[in-house]
Formats: sequence, structure tokens, C-alpha cells
Amino acid sequence: MPRRLKSLFTASVAALLAIVVMSGCSRGPVQTGNTFVVAIESEADILDPQVAGGWVSWRINRQIFEPLVDQDLTIPSDEATIPPLKPGLAESWDVSADGLDYMFHIRQGVEFHDGTPLNAEAVEYNIRRMWDKDSPMYSARAAGQTSFVWKFVESVRTVDEYTVNVRLTQPFSEFLRMLTQGGNGSTAIMSPTALETYGDDVADHPVGTGPFKFKERIRGERIDLVRNDDYWGKVPYINGVVFRPLPDPSARTAALRSGDVDMIAVPNPDSIDNLVSEGYQLSEGIPPHIWYLSFNMEDQYTSIPEVREAINLAIDREGMARDLLRGSVTPAYGVQAMSAGGYVERRDAYERNLDKARQLLASVDLPNGFPTTLITSTDGSGQIMPAQMAEFIQQNLAEIGIDVNIQTQEWISYLGVWARGMQPGVGMAQMSWGMTSPYWLYIATSSELQAPNGPNVGYYSNPVLDEAMDNAITALDQAEADRWWRQANNIVSDDDALAPIVNDKAPYMLAPYVSGFVSASEEWYDLTEVRLEQ
Amino acid sequence: MTRVIGSRLLSTVLVLFGVSLIVFLLLQMVPGDPAVTILGTGATAETVAALRTELGLDRALPVQFFEYLGGLLQGDLGRSLTVNAPVTDIMVPRFANTLILTGAALVLCIVIAVPLGVIAAHKQYSIFDRASMVISLAGASVPVYWFGLLLIGVFSISLGWLPTSGMYNPRFPGGFGDLLAHLILPAIAAALVPLAVIARMTRSVMVDILAQDYIRTLRASGLSTTSVLWRHGLRNALPPIVNIIGLQVGYLLGGVVFVEVVFGWPGLGQQLYTSITQRDIPVVQAGVLFIALAFVIINLFADTAVGLLDPRSRRATHS
Repeated sequence: MPRRLKSLFTASVAALLAIVVMSGCSRGPVQTGNTFVVAIESEADILDPQVAGGWVSWRINRQIFEPLVDQDLTIPSDEATIPPLKPGLAESWDVSADGLDYMFHIRQGVEFHDGTPLNAEAVEYNIRRMWDKDSPMYSARAAGQTSFVWKFVESVRTVDEYTVNVRLTQPFSEFLRMLTQGGNGSTAIMSPTALETYGDDVADHPVGTGPFKFKERIRGERIDLVRNDDYWGKVPYINGVVFRPLPDPSARTAALRSGDVDMIAVPNPDSIDNLVSEGYQLSEGIPPHIWYLSFNMEDQYTSIPEVREAINLAIDREGMARDLLRGSVTPAYGVQAMSAGGYVERRDAYERNLDKARQLLASVDLPNGFPTTLITSTDGSGQIMPAQMAEFIQQNLAEIGIDVNIQTQEWISYLGVWARGMQPGVGMAQMSWGMTSPYWLYIATSSELQAPNGPNVGYYSNPVLDEAMDNAITALDQAEADRWWRQANNIVSDDDALAPIVNDKAPYMLAPYVSGFVSASEEWYDLTEVRLEQ
Repeated sequence: MTRVIGSRLLSTVLVLFGVSLIVFLLLQMVPGDPAVTILGTGATAETVAALRTELGLDRALPVQFFEYLGGLLQGDLGRSLTVNAPVTDIMVPRFANTLILTGAALVLCIVIAVPLGVIAAHKQYSIFDRASMVISLAGASVPVYWFGLLLIGVFSISLGWLPTSGMYNPRFPGGFGDLLAHLILPAIAAALVPLAVIARMTRSVMVDILAQDYIRTLRASGLSTTSVLWRHGLRNALPPIVNIIGLQVGYLLGGVVFVEVVFGWPGLGQQLYTSITQRDIPVVQAGVLFIALAFVIINLFADTAVGLLDPRSRRATHS
């Protein structure tokens, strides 16, 4: 290339970049039309709340659909570490003294968006869809997603027009909290008329009772909801909300800066500081999100308790949160997140102590460490930056002589590999997950749910823990249940069955004119208080 | 001509059959189970087995494939495993969106690249020739992803002229004008590489033609430069250019995947990406079939056009 042209080319590129750098602040205020536009990190699953999986989908579905029991998400994390339960479509409930009979008193005068009245029959119809194999409305998908909620149900019965009785085979202290969950399928109530009319295509015609009504979905482009002016609760301020999937983080940031959207999910950690200095608002909470490792209890090294303890003590959680993830997470000091019931902070087990870690390895004749394998994904929902985080752990463990070989797979392949349980030679498997219910601990560590039967992928089994969790599950008194859950948390920490690493803060970036958005201690949010004022 | 088109149509059917078989087998080999994907981290052996039965994944592979093929012959592309909707409902609108983007990019390519190549060839080694070829070379080497972000940075964020992403305004979805405003930047980004290739190709074909005797004769007989270049020169250069354009459409269809991701364009590429990561076999198969179909049809058009433009090729096919 002749020099003259080369410099011409360089000059034009530089000019272009200069225009980019000079941010155009001359544009007038954004015309929002009082419609709240949210850029989400991936395309949502179907709009059938009982069948859809994943937090991304539930964040949308819960604006249209409501469960019997809900959580109050208008209180920010720093005021309520665990979101309090509140009545949803059940106005109130009575639990029998033996903890087996739940009488749900259904809210009167509520209609689904299609005009179908909400009553006990509609609720029973929905529960049978998720639970009753012999009923015509049964859906294997809905049942698969919600199996942990309905696990102990013996019968469901309409008592009168506004009362539903759910009878359990054994007391289940976390039943009400589990009814509020939505990460792995939810128990939100759908219009039975819509279910009958549309059958398999019901997800294209989502009809619930929530503060927003479904208007339109163009796959990959937008999901449009409009305000439900007949909502039984507090009617939202905004006219509607549009969810736009923008999988690319840079595209999301650009859309926020240009005023095309009012809020973005999962901002690139590197862009947060700049956006804040430009006047955009950062909203963070403490959702029950734990990024953790399971140890393989059948591996020749990680089956040794001292080895697992040494690994837990060698990981630099503070360094990872501060340097690698730039404060978008907090170091994890408990096996569950702070926003989960039964949380126990165990700094003694999870704060870095290299000397003690080395001593522990020496005490089991492994002073020079050993080789092992850590499996994780390259991407995926809630995984943050899995490969870089695994490499950070690899460096930490190298300091005590443990030679970690990292194996990564793309998210969906990894999910399949993870669910099969750790194979010989694999010492640690990573996952990120969590619930506000401590019942999550049962799902992740119960000996009944060892892989491939369930998500206990490290084949952990401790009869004392199983008994403690059983006591917690069957406790009739909340304080007693909490006591057992805390004990269970302590047992898992003492056994070093898991290595909790960090808790995500679930950051969102909002345009300067948005107010009323609250980051509660959940993976999803309430939009009834949001206002757009300029 | 008819015979050519007939045999091409027959081979199209064979190509599509082969493509569906290969895609089906490839997806079976990749690890990952749609049932586990759907159920997520809370999956238990029992719920996975029940779901596999419901989705029909527990049947023998040949049974699954031939059932799919049977449906295909009746125009039924099956049901998506993860989205629980008919594949046609998902893919046809996506395919239409991709065609809009590809079509716009193609128009840009042809309208800009061909004149650029002709003028560059005419003013060979001039500053214009060098500049346009340097820009083409740069265009062909720039990563589409980066170029897309640059366009967004300049025209959407700094100048605020055009929207950053999507197909319609999320707050006030408009009609054709709204679509056009959303189309400009992604079309430019998608057109960049093929535009450069077509421009360079046009230039080199034209350089050869302009050196030929009959051009000199035409010039000597006093025809205007415009007439020599565009009427006689370009007309003879068109067959290879049309062939290249036909082939570039294939690259365009492949390349728009990145553009669709950067600009949040709800097209086939974006859906394919999602569906591949979810192991949603029927959707992936439909996507690949659509792309194969589009590629084959457009090249059939290109071949036909070459036949019409160039009498010599017609004679050759009849012999």
C-alpha cells in the first residue's frame, strides 16, 4: 500500500473513532411512551410458566402469571435479606396442626385476562396438570419441572368455590416457599380456558392473572406486555413492558446508551464504571445465587476430607471477587447464599489460609499435592465467567501443589455431562444455582438424589445430614425447621462436600430517568413500582 | 435450458435429502440431551425418562429419522423440542427476516460493487483505483462483528441517526419506514465482505475485457467511453460477475449470523444458534434445509441468468 494511501486510511479510521468517542449528548430526551423496554441476555423459553425453565423466562412469565403464594419483591435486598412471603392468588391459608392439610383460600373477584373467573376449580385444574399422572390435563413437562414442589402431595380437592385443599403425605415445612419459586419451572396459575382451548400451543396464548397482559411475541425480537388495568392488586404505573433479547453484551450497552432500551440485564463488568459515570443507574441485590464446586466422593483424592478442606482453604474468594469480577459478586462464606433460609456464615471454612491448607495436605501424605480434573462450562445462564474463574481456582490450587486440569464444554453439553455425575478422574464439578428456600440444600446434597438420579453429582452421602434435613423438612414449627436447616448447612461445611465460591449480585443498568426498580433478594423482579419520568 | 433447470431441480431434492440426513446424524453425535436441557439443573432420572418418552427421543434413530422425513414430504417440519411449537411457525418468519436482510445487503453489494469495479478497471492504477481497492481489501479483512459495533457507535450512539438493534422500534413499532431505518446498518455490515469481493472480481474481469481487441476497435470507431464501458464492456463481463454474486449469496447467508447477533435481528441465524445450543434437532434441520434451499435456488437463478446473458453458454449446454 502506498504511504499516502496508508496515511489516508489511518486518518479516516481515526476520524471515525473520534466521532465514536465524542458521545452525542445533544439529543433530546428519550420518548418512552411510558413503555418500559428491557434488553435481556437471551431469548426466553416458552410463555408457559409451568413448563418453561430458567430465570430469564420466569422474569417474563411472572409479570403475566402468579402463584398461590408469592414473595414481596418490592423490598430491596438490604432491607430484607430473604424476601418475605406474601399472599398471591391465595388470599390466606390454614395449615393443619399435623402439617399435612393445606387449605388455600382463593382470592375472590379475580379474573384471568380472558375473563375466566379464578376459583378453586381453576386452581385444582392447574395442580393436576403439574402433578396428577392420571388426569387428562397432565403434562409430563410441567410435572418434570415442578416435581420438587409437589413431591409430597397425596391429594388435591376443591372444597368450595374458593377453597382448595392440598393434602400431603408428610409435613413439608418449605412447601409455601417452594410455591413461590420459578427458576426450574413454577407453579403459577394459568387460565384453564386457555389450556383447554389451545392445548399444546398454550404458550403462544399465555393467559394469567398478573399485573401485565400478553400482547405479542415476535421470536428473537420482542415480547410485548401491556398493563392489566383490571389487576386485583396495585396497578403498575407503566403502560407496558417490552422484553428484547440482545445476546451480545456490547449490543445491550449500545442500546442503553442510544435510548433504545431503558434497562439492560447482565452488563459487561468492564462497562459498569463508565455507564455509572455517564449517569446511568446500577441496581444490585443479593439473590440466592451460588457459584460452587461439588467434590467427587468416589475419587481417590477428593474423597479424603482433609483434601477437600485444604482446597476450600486454598481458594482466594476475595481476590476473585475483587480482581477478576470487579466487585460484581461477593465472596461466598456459606454453602447457601445469604438470601436463603438457614444460611450459616462459615468464614473459618472458606477464608483463605494457605498454611493450614498445606498442613492438611501433608497430614494425609500428599505434601506435594496431586493431579485432578475440574469440569465447568464455557458459558451459560448464571455461570458468570466460568472458564476464567476456573483458571483463577487452578492458580490458587497450584500454590498448594494441586495440579488442576480444567475441562470445559459449551453450556448444554456441560449440563448433560454434569447431570450424569462425575466420572472417574474428575475431582470437582462446577455449577451455579440456588433458591431462597433452604430446600435447595436437600436437592443438591441429599443421598437420595445422587447422580444420575438427581443433582447430587459428587455422590455425597451422610446419614446424619439426611436425618437433619429430614427433620427440617418435616418440622411443624418454622423456628425448629430453621434450626435443623442451619445444622444441615453446618454439616455440609464440616464435611467440605461443596466449595462455595462467590455469590452473584445480579447487576442491572438503568437509564437515568427510571425510578422504582427494586433489586430484591431474588433472581427475578417486580415491575409494578417502575416509573419513567424525565 | 429447460433440461438444465430440470436436472438442477432433481439434484436439489437429492442435496436436501443428504443435508437432512447429515444434520440429523451430526446432532445425534454431539453430547447433550434435549430432555436434560429442558429440565435444567433440577432434573432427576425419573423426570428425564418421562420427558424423553413424551418427546419421542427413546425410539430407534432410523424410526425417528424416517418419521421426520415422512412429515417433511407432507410439508410438516415437525415440532420444536424446546419451544413446544410447530417448526414452521418458528422458522418461516425467521427465514423471511433473514431474506429481508440478505436481500438488502445484496442490493447494496450490486449497486455499489459493480460500478466501483468498472470504474476502477477503467481508471486502472489511478488514485481512485488504488483507493477503492484498498478500501475493498480492508472491507474484506475487517471482522464483521467489530465493523457492526463501529457502525452502531457512530450512527446510533454518537449521531443518534439510526437505531442500534432490532427490526422495529420497541416502543412505537412503525411500518416500512421504521423497518428501513433498522435495516440500514445491519445491511451495510452484512454487505461489507461480499461487496469487497464482488468489487475486486468485477475489476479484474473488466481489466481483461478492456484489454481486448474489440474494445480497442470500438474506441477507435469513436464510441463514447460510457458506451464502451457500460454497454459493451460490462455486458461481456457480466456472466462471471453474476456467477460470483450467486456464490456470494451463500456467504452472505452464512455471514449474517454474526450481523444478526450484533444487531439483534430476529433472523434464521440467531434462531439456529439458539437451537443448536439447545439440541433442538427439528429446528436446526429446518434451518439448514432453508439455507441449503436458498443457496441452491439462488444459484439456479444465477445460472439461468448467465444462460440468458451469454448465448455461448446456452449453445454449450445443448451440445
